[in-house]
Amino acid sequence: MAKKKIGRYKILGELGRGAMGIVYKAEDPNLDRLVALKTIILAEDSAGRAEYQKRFMMEAKAAGKLNHPSIVTTFDYGEHEGMAYLAMELLEGTDLRTRLQKESIPAAEAVAIARQVAEGLAYAHARGVVHRDIKPGNIMLNGGGQAKIMDFGLARMRMADHKTSTGMVLGTPRYMSPEQISGQPVDQRSDIFSLGIVLYEMLTGTRLFAGEDIHQVQHLITQTEHVPPTRQVPGLPPMVDFVVARALKKDPTVRYQDARELAADLATCAAELRSRDPSEPSGEGSRTVKLEALSEKAPDAPPAHMIAVDTKLPVSRLFDAAPALRRLKDASLGHMPRPVGLLRRLYRDAAVRQLFVAVVLAGTAGVVLALGRI
Amino acid sequence: MRAPLNLAEPDPRLYLGGDATLLSGADFNRFFFLFIGAQSLHAAAMGASVVASVVFLRIQDFARRPASEQARLRAQLEAVVAVTGAELEPAGRIVLEASDGAAIVLLRDPIGALRLAQRALTAAAAGLPLSAGINHGALQLSGRKGAEGMTGDGIAVAAAIAEFAAASRLLASRSFRNALADAAPGREVSLLPAGAFKDAGLRDHEVFSLDEKAVARRQLRYTLATAVLVVACVGGGIATRISADSDKPFASAVMDKYPYVRALVQRAGY
Repeated sequence: MAKKKIGRYKILGELGRGAMGIVYKAEDPNLDRLVALKTIILAEDSAGRAEYQKRFMMEAKAAGKLNHPSIVTTFDYGEHEGMAYLAMELLEGTDLRTRLQKESIPAAEAVAIARQVAEGLAYAHARGVVHRDIKPGNIMLNGGGQAKIMDFGLARMRMADHKTSTGMVLGTPRYMSPEQISGQPVDQRSDIFSLGIVLYEMLTGTRLFAGEDIHQVQHLITQTEHVPPTRQVPGLPPMVDFVVARALKKDPTVRYQDARELAADLATCAAELRSRDPSEPSGEGSRTVKLEALSEKAPDAPPAHMIAVDTKLPVSRLFDAAPALRRLKDASLGHMPRPVGLLRRLYRDAAVRQLFVAVVLAGTAGVVLALGRI
Repeated sequence: MRAPLNLAEPDPRLYLGGDATLLSGADFNRFFFLFIGAQSLHAAAMGASVVASVVFLRIQDFARRPASEQARLRAQLEAVVAVTGAELEPAGRIVLEASDGAAIVLLRDPIGALRLAQRALTAAAAGLPLSAGINHGALQLSGRKGAEGMTGDGIAVAAAIAEFAAASRLLASRSFRNALADAAPGREVSLLPAGAFKDAGLRDHEVFSLDEKAVARRQLRYTLATAVLVVACVGGGIATRISADSDKPFASAVMDKYPYVRALVQRAGY
């Protein structure tokens, strides 16, 4: 062990390493409490360092005010031998990224995790703190099914720091919102988008925006629409499609405006999942599925304002369309409307026919009367 | 396994060039149909193209609603489509999905399309903010078995009109009105001009709203016109006969034969 003590904290072991520094397991001798000590290497030049320190203190103070069951608590912060550190709540468990790499997550648990994260975000957003880097690696899961968000505020420091050094935006592009990856100002709705991606990946076990470089990822995030989760995992309740679709709206104004609203919808999803008969096929465990339906994914259904001449609308699976689709092979089916001529109108339009017949009869009668035949 | 990205190129059969967007809805339909018709051999190999009526039922402000409400409204819409479409033969209708509604394609049945839209709006009156757009236009089937979909101007115009229509309102395109006139001459009078609008693609659409009493009003007008013309013809014949039987001028002869007519004329003279 290179260091025995950082500040007043006694280092017990290393928990992990990241882009910003090392995370240690440490002991606070004052309170006789175990903590996770996150170290952050400060910039080398004095001007940059002073700015960084100032920002670090501000972010640490803001994070320290967050006290919620779904947010990792920050106990203390300080500086020691050219590095800043944060003393945080030590959690026993694993992060979501590791869990996703190991195994698929049952739908009910995925929804429960997302709901807890949404509640934590709602709490932080209400206090003016935006996370900016919601991703599986920043969500800790303990053994009791509790999810906790880590690293509040650190993303902004990391991004700002990296911008000054390389002129690029660093972070986790795959989990960024369209406005964030485009370099526009972000607010709480950006965290909601990121959580939408995490939820999608938990539910489907697939990576949503996986590109080979940041340009591909940016294109995918800003341009492409996701395949609804129920098309990937048919046993999922339809409600999750709506929740995911709303969280992943490209336009922040039509996205969830509040993480509390998202949490409420996830609670409804959870209730729907709970209420399902265990004997029915669901998104978890083994099930028998129709291979034909799975192998061919139906295209996404766009909203009315996005429908153009070449926009394909999928045939609904709720209504049997097979007889009509067979009938479509008849080339003579349907035609553009033809103008209705006088003869056809006389033959088919009762009102015109009545008028015509009456006038002909009355005219004939008039002529007969005029000619003195009666 | 990750879902494949939809990177398919636009179908060249559906590409009409930039100027196509400047055509009116009806002209565009005609052009689209001719365009598809000209390449029918290729189309036959790739997918069937037809002309049919499309009823687009759209849930208003769907994207802005909470997901729980979206799910509820969606389920309601499916129930409405199931109920209203129950009277249609399965071989005569295809239901397509849109994220904020549904498009029902009716084969050779504009009257059924109008009735379906009316019934859907009536059924949806309780709590489902629905609008309906009806069009008659070209459509094409594409996709493999089990994942079929439809494209075409018939759907695009119906969707644009439904987007334009207010809640609980039904609007139809000129093309649909013509199709209705073609299928049942006289029924088209129930669709009254409701103005025109330009869609997001800068296409002009002339739209018509439904007035269910218009047919009855027209029937009344025609009956009155029939009565007037019958009276005029018969009266004219009688007057001609009277005039022919008398040496006097026509008016004097009539007034001599019918004194009350003279009294009526004198009274009118005062």
